[in-house]
Amino acid sequence: MPSILEKIRILGASSKFDICASTASSRTDKYPKLFGDSKKWVGTTASAGICHSYTPDGRCMSLFKTLYTNSCIYNCKYCFSHSCKQRVSFTPEEYARTFMKLYSMNVVEGIFISSGVCRSADDTTEEMLEAVRLLRFKYNFQGYIHFKCLPGVSQSLLKEAIALSDRISINSEASTKEFLAEIAEQKDFNNDIVLRQRWLKENRIKHNENALKIVKDLKQDNQSVRFQEKMINDKRDNGYKKFRWDGAPILNSGQTTQFVVGAAEDETDWDLLKRIDWQYRKIDLRRAYFSSFIPIEGTPLANKQAALLSREHQLYQSDWLLRIYHYKLGDLKEVLTEEGNLPKGDPKVHFARHYFKEHGLVDPNQAAYQELLRVPGIGPISAKRIINLRAKKVKFKRREDLKSVGVVLKRAEPFLVINGRNQTTIDNFFAPNNTKVLQGGMQ
Amino acid sequence: MNKINNRKDPLEVVGCARGYSKEELINNLSRHANYTPNLIKQVRSLPEVMLRNSGNTTAKKIVRMMRDISGEAYKAIQFTRTEINDRGVLYGVVLLKHQVIDKVLNYFHDRWPQCVICLYNEHTCTTSVINEKGVIREMKKSLKRVVETISKKRTTMSYFEDIQFSGEEIFETLYNTQNINERNNPRYFKSMIPEYCYKLPGLKKGVERRFTPQNKKIEDFF
Repeated sequence: MPSILEKIRILGASSKFDICASTASSRTDKYPKLFGDSKKWVGTTASAGICHSYTPDGRCMSLFKTLYTNSCIYNCKYCFSHSCKQRVSFTPEEYARTFMKLYSMNVVEGIFISSGVCRSADDTTEEMLEAVRLLRFKYNFQGYIHFKCLPGVSQSLLKEAIALSDRISINSEASTKEFLAEIAEQKDFNNDIVLRQRWLKENRIKHNENALKIVKDLKQDNQSVRFQEKMINDKRDNGYKKFRWDGAPILNSGQTTQFVVGAAEDETDWDLLKRIDWQYRKIDLRRAYFSSFIPIEGTPLANKQAALLSREHQLYQSDWLLRIYHYKLGDLKEVLTEEGNLPKGDPKVHFARHYFKEHGLVDPNQAAYQELLRVPGIGPISAKRIINLRAKKVKFKRREDLKSVGVVLKRAEPFLVINGRNQTTIDNFFAPNNTKVLQGGMQ
Repeated sequence: MNKINNRKDPLEVVGCARGYSKEELINNLSRHANYTPNLIKQVRSLPEVMLRNSGNTTAKKIVRMMRDISGEAYKAIQFTRTEINDRGVLYGVVLLKHQVIDKVLNYFHDRWPQCVICLYNEHTCTTSVINEKGVIREMKKSLKRVVETISKKRTTMSYFEDIQFSGEEIFETLYNTQNINERNNPRYFKSMIPEYCYKLPGLKKGVERRFTPQNKKIEDFF
């Protein structure tokens, strides 16, 4: 019987390629508390995002990230579990106690629970849920839980997982069913992954609409919108007291997904970007993670070349443009190479070169918010500051004026016209007609 | 000082969304170890636009002081390692030059509302305690003595009895499993845990210490 340390050594190593950000949940700040205001609860998600340690690869270690078991019925070609000879599994009690110990030491902020699929997705999910239930109701842990949903899990278990977790993710692994079949032939892309993602969205929206209605009704009747014990103790679910108040929204950190970049032959950045764009629009994806493929000895893809880390980085940059800067997918298509991959370097700079050559340079005193966002070195915060100051009749006459609102001049200058002047090359200087200035900009 | 009095050009202070408000400065500057009452007088006398101007020497000094304060509190929250006993007393050691102990105590209090939290500050040689109601007290006693005294007054709780085992080895094992060698990035690692952090009590003997560039073995270079 392996010890807990041995289990952590094996299951921790098996989960190192799973990616998760540090905790992110607005549960306790903006909304009524899911578990109420009772002092018996331990942990909080209010001051989320604190990293208690970093590994030598620079990634933060803020979550207790291990697999629940490394036994798996799937035979994915890229997966670590091929090379692992020893099969181990936590028990729910072991898992919960170990985490609580680490939490009391202030070395982790929350949980990231994932697993191989042992026997069936439902069997393993049931065991994982038992560990989460123990944490929530025996150890009264109110902090952050990221639950990794297994492909093909049933809707009833998914519903319970939603009610107990702050974030749920289902790994897409590849952008289309053909690419998934290439690297994980047993997984059904549409049924095991996309359908589950849709269920997550539907359940979340349905619950949160009801929650808003309950809060609204309480407000209309001048009742407290705070969680009350009597509201939850009248039912029993799975042997526990009904655990949450229906008036509190669930799954505040939404659902995420992860792709293995470079494992499937011929999968391009364009394929991946199309997929994440679809997921942002159709299934309310909160964010996507990319993991560069690294060949692992003992797997069928052991001899395949590792994907470049720069590719992963560029995909994150493009994802940022889609998600935060609200670029259209078509905007990114313009900068792709003939093979459909992103060119070397920052996609925003590539796009800006292409876009401003066509539309002319930007005058920060006139450009609209969306236009400013297209300039490298100007992000949403500095663009908002510029707009706010313009509303106060402030004019930007010098480079330093822009610097003081947080614009990164080194990157932004080639695309800006400040007080009628712009940075240019010697060739363009002698052909001044090349320089157009955007008037009014986009709306 | 001439620059401070120059209020003509509004673009000098165009970064009005950056920096700290006057209220924040007045409330927090007194936490700094180099705080003098004169500083608050200066802050009160200057207009807010000047205080937010990064080109102004006084503003620069004040912003640096504010960063020292928030930075120290944040690092303490990140890297303080604590223990909990079977009577629900959570304790640990910190090294705080500025007066931010209340921030650190409140952070732990939010997480463990049923516990009494004791933090010993190596810099001032005092132990600060926050109880279940959120009341903070400071004592000139050793951490061990304070924890013993408080524990005597509390009964054993089964919840905390359940997690009475050594966790250091568990954390070390978990930490070692999470690194991906192919992605090693010493520069980034160093920027995340700068050298001065290893002087903090939580990291002095931490597992992270072994991965600093100074601790590289000869084999690592080849």
